[in-house]
Amino acid sequence: MSQHGPPGLSRRALLRLGGAAGAAAALGPLGACAGPTGAQSAGAMTLALNRSLVSLDNKLNQFDAAVTVQRAVRQALTRIGPDLTPEPVLADRFELTAPTEWTVRLRKGVHYSDGSPVLVRDVATALSMYKQVSGSFLASFFPEWPQVEEVDDRVFLLHTERPLPVLDYLMANILITPGDANEAAELPSGIGSGPYVVTAANRGTGTYTLERNDRYWGARRPAVPTVDVRFLPEESSRVVSLRGGEVDVIDTISPDSAEQLTGLPDIAMDSVPGTRINQLFYNFRKPDDHPLSDVRVREALTFAIDGRTLVDDVLVGSVTQADGVVSGALTGAVATGAYVHDPRKARGLLAAAGIGPGDLTLKLIWETGEFAGDTTVMEAVLQMLKDAGVGVTLQQFEPGGDIPQWRQGRGGDWDVIGNGFASPTGLALATVQGMFGGTAEKEKTRDTYQGYVVPEVTDILDRAYDETDPKARQELAAQAQHAVWRTWPCLWAFVPNSVLARRRRVRGLALEASNSYDLAATRLEG
Amino acid sequence: MVRYILRRLGQSALTVFLTVSAVFVLIRLAPGDPAASFAGPMATTEDLARVREQFGLDQPLPTQYLVFVRDMLTGNLGTSYSFQAPAFDVVIARLPYTTTLATSAILVTAFAAIPLGVWMARRADTRREAGVNVAGIAAQSMPEFWSGVMLLTVFAVLFPVLPASGFATWSGIVLPTITVALLQVALISRLVRREMGANLAAPYLVAARSRGVSERALTWRYAIPNSAIPVLTALGTRFAAMLNGVVVVEVVFAWPGVGSLVVRALETRDYPLIQATVLVTAGLAVLVQLLIDLAYPLLDPRVRIGKAVRR
Amino acid sequence: MTGATRPAANQPAAHTPGGRAARPSRVTAADLARSGAVRRGRAAAAKLWAGAVCTLLVVVPVALARVLPIPGPDEQHLDARRLPPLVDGHLFGTDQLGRDLLARVLNGGQVSLTIGLLAVVVSGIIGILAGAAAGYFGGWVDSVLSRLLEAQMSLPLLMMLLLVVALFGPSVPVITFVIAIAQWPEIARLTRSLVIVEREKPYVDAARVLGLGRVSVLVRHVLPNIVQRATLVVLLLLAQAVLLESALSYLGAGPERPFATWGRIISDGQDYVTTSWWLVTLPGLFIVLLVVGVNLIGDGLRDRSRRPKTPRTEAAA
Repeated sequence: MSQHGPPGLSRRALLRLGGAAGAAAALGPLGACAGPTGAQSAGAMTLALNRSLVSLDNKLNQFDAAVTVQRAVRQALTRIGPDLTPEPVLADRFELTAPTEWTVRLRKGVHYSDGSPVLVRDVATALSMYKQVSGSFLASFFPEWPQVEEVDDRVFLLHTERPLPVLDYLMANILITPGDANEAAELPSGIGSGPYVVTAANRGTGTYTLERNDRYWGARRPAVPTVDVRFLPEESSRVVSLRGGEVDVIDTISPDSAEQLTGLPDIAMDSVPGTRINQLFYNFRKPDDHPLSDVRVREALTFAIDGRTLVDDVLVGSVTQADGVVSGALTGAVATGAYVHDPRKARGLLAAAGIGPGDLTLKLIWETGEFAGDTTVMEAVLQMLKDAGVGVTLQQFEPGGDIPQWRQGRGGDWDVIGNGFASPTGLALATVQGMFGGTAEKEKTRDTYQGYVVPEVTDILDRAYDETDPKARQELAAQAQHAVWRTWPCLWAFVPNSVLARRRRVRGLALEASNSYDLAATRLEG
Repeated sequence: MVRYILRRLGQSALTVFLTVSAVFVLIRLAPGDPAASFAGPMATTEDLARVREQFGLDQPLPTQYLVFVRDMLTGNLGTSYSFQAPAFDVVIARLPYTTTLATSAILVTAFAAIPLGVWMARRADTRREAGVNVAGIAAQSMPEFWSGVMLLTVFAVLFPVLPASGFATWSGIVLPTITVALLQVALISRLVRREMGANLAAPYLVAARSRGVSERALTWRYAIPNSAIPVLTALGTRFAAMLNGVVVVEVVFAWPGVGSLVVRALETRDYPLIQATVLVTAGLAVLVQLLIDLAYPLLDPRVRIGKAVRR
Repeated sequence: MTGATRPAANQPAAHTPGGRAARPSRVTAADLARSGAVRRGRAAAAKLWAGAVCTLLVVVPVALARVLPIPGPDEQHLDARRLPPLVDGHLFGTDQLGRDLLARVLNGGQVSLTIGLLAVVVSGIIGILAGAAAGYFGGWVDSVLSRLLEAQMSLPLLMMLLLVVALFGPSVPVITFVIAIAQWPEIARLTRSLVIVEREKPYVDAARVLGLGRVSVLVRHVLPNIVQRATLVVLLLLAQAVLLESALSYLGAGPERPFATWGRIISDGQDYVTTSWWLVTLPGLFIVLLVVGVNLIGDGLRDRSRRPKTPRTEAAA
């Protein structure tokens, strides 16, 4: 096409030229930047989340990976540190000064990204907004909302009706925003006091751009100037994108994906024991004459489960078999026993309880994706129980389906549910309370955990919550966990590791048991 | 003309309204509790009741419908449960991605399929044409999710030259576009070939040829313009369909468009979001269809709007 | 098949394809063999053959899945996970749970093909009846049907299908029904146009004159004349039905586990694209082979029926 068009350039050639030009115009801009990995630039780090970050607020929803990003923009008075104990952030003092009174002092010089100071009034507003919002995930962890009493422009008191000894843990979830801009809803925009500011946000697609906050109050400014947050729902997309270098960090990955990423030169994996516990939980709403209402039967069945095979072969070492009723990583968690594989003992104990081979058939239910490898675990458990002479039927629910009704005992009859329980407070006592603190009162509205109501356990928990001395409280918390274990609530339970994969150029990323990390501490190399 | 357009607009509005109403009824008959999926696994019965009240889910169905119609007429499509934002805004935020992908795919299709189809018609029944024809059949027989994953495996995993997912840079559009266009090129080029073939064999063309008109002119001045209408109609219809979300391809490539939004909205039973998506996409598709119909007389003077088309 | 249309090679003075008496002609056998019509005929035959072979290559093993000496589709061997093809007697390799992929593809094919066949039968019956009624009776029946068809055209189809599956649960009957609903318009439209042509023919009038009612004319005279052509299209829709079913399965709206359908096998396998190529590639190739086969048959049949109508005696063959 180098020669100039002769006078009689045919229509056809003209059209062809036009077509080529059009195609070039349509594809030109694509070709121009179709480098191998266009997304990566030296100063920007890209995170791919498995769930859509609908806002940088946590009043309604909070999933693990979101915490990392939320904390980079908005901060709380405290944070749950790597060892799952509270650390001061906006407050430099947070102390229990009386059984129902905490004294808090704001750190000197803390301010928002626009330079305005963090005020005591902002804390009071934040608490009232969290309280007003309905359907909040966090509200279930607050037995009551504390009242703020201002002492001076930095010091204030938090009052509660009854002792709330874990308030320093709980307040780590209350993000502080300028009071005038706070609302009783998820804040789609606005400013915070964190090391990053949001410069671009698209709720619809879950894409956010964070830039370094140049007026950050903290001594250490973040090393990475720009952080891009993207939403990639499919695990395979995230794995391929990480391999291709389009994204730098992906979190919450399954054992299978981890296997695909190990051994790649550019990719490093971090893994820590998690705070979540996944259980095969018995149905505690069975009639009294049902075998599962007999603690001996519940115990006997556990001997049928080969935990080691499940951990090593099915879940390829990505989990740890539980040795207590909550994750051992939680503060105050104690080992209460172990799940032992002994099929003969299982048969023997079942026979002793009057159940011969083939007498009992159990229905296992779970929701797809409740935990990684769920289907495989269930199918393997089916085989193990069969070997012990117990029949099993499986029923799987799709996400968003009917399982909440079944869980409440309204959907249909079941015997064992595959279920996970998260522990955002990092505290064993709060988690035990959440799962096993069910009362007859709550059971009236079916609001207990699979119908678990054991007065002995709730008595100990009540005493623990009223106890202000940390040591005595821990003593009671341990007692409660042992008491729960003795009731054999689970057929089997395990604690999944939090697994994160990153490009090696991302350094300084310290994954914490809460499955989040401090974004400001990361840096890029190479 | 104006009356015709107004009538067509009215019909379109009715179609969209009926569609949205049908969806409204359908999703409320569906099992699964939207309040439960909104409130999360930790929700108490009290929380659920509060959520139901907040979103009016405790009202009887006819009341919910009337409220819904009133809100829709005032431009309020409700708040998406899962996005915590106005459902309409969420859809609008996603829409540019779908229109971008649809436009790019339809352009590639047009620029590839028309020349290919013309070539096939002119070389009809040669061995090479037969080969291309069979290749077309193969391309049209591949499920889009499979060809997408295959392209992804080759160009993003084995030879990582293109991004596998999302739309962080313009290069991210290449693989989804090719995946969509592969099927469309196969379909449209065969249509072009058929139309061209019919025109090349038509008596008027034989007459023109006997008058000594050159083959080149026969193709370009006679056959192609006369084949244009069905081909452009087909392209327009495909484009309208793509605006409804290229669901499968968007899911394969994690493309943040309306299609992947639909899948997610259905999974989470996000009623307002499903409704808003249907309203926006159905409206857009109907509008594009209307524009195609209005464009007929521009392409073909034989068509008179309001006369030939209706009746 | 091709022989019938080709003149005997050793006769220089060619016959016309009809085999009428030889007369002097400059058209040689070679010319005829090169002519468009003959080429088309030969290509059509080749397509038919190739199509049949491709289709049978898929359908026969699927039909015999339970007889073939392969492991069960749900038999797990956790120590033999994701074996590549041809290792340890697994022709297609194994999947993430150590299940034989070939067994899963074949058994999945039974589900996919059953759904496809049922869907096509249902949509064929609905489409032919509705289209014939609209075409024959005209008037309000026709208007109602045409509006319905238009409305369905303007709907976001896949979205609606996903919605209905979410509504009634992903069971085999529901998915069959949903696919049938997606496909009936095409058959209805074709039948309608065929019947409109047919009803103007003299024999219809004759039957009416003989005193047959309108319905019996339609059922006993018109339908038998168009049903063959309509059925051809119905068969071609089988390929589309299989594609649609696999797309639904891929998007998670397929029949409930433990049914392994083609779409589900691929979507499960997608999690392993970086390490285990066969989990996606092989089941996909299986689908493509089937659909290509059906499409080739359809194309071949269409080409054959489009051949210029020369007065030939063998044409009916």
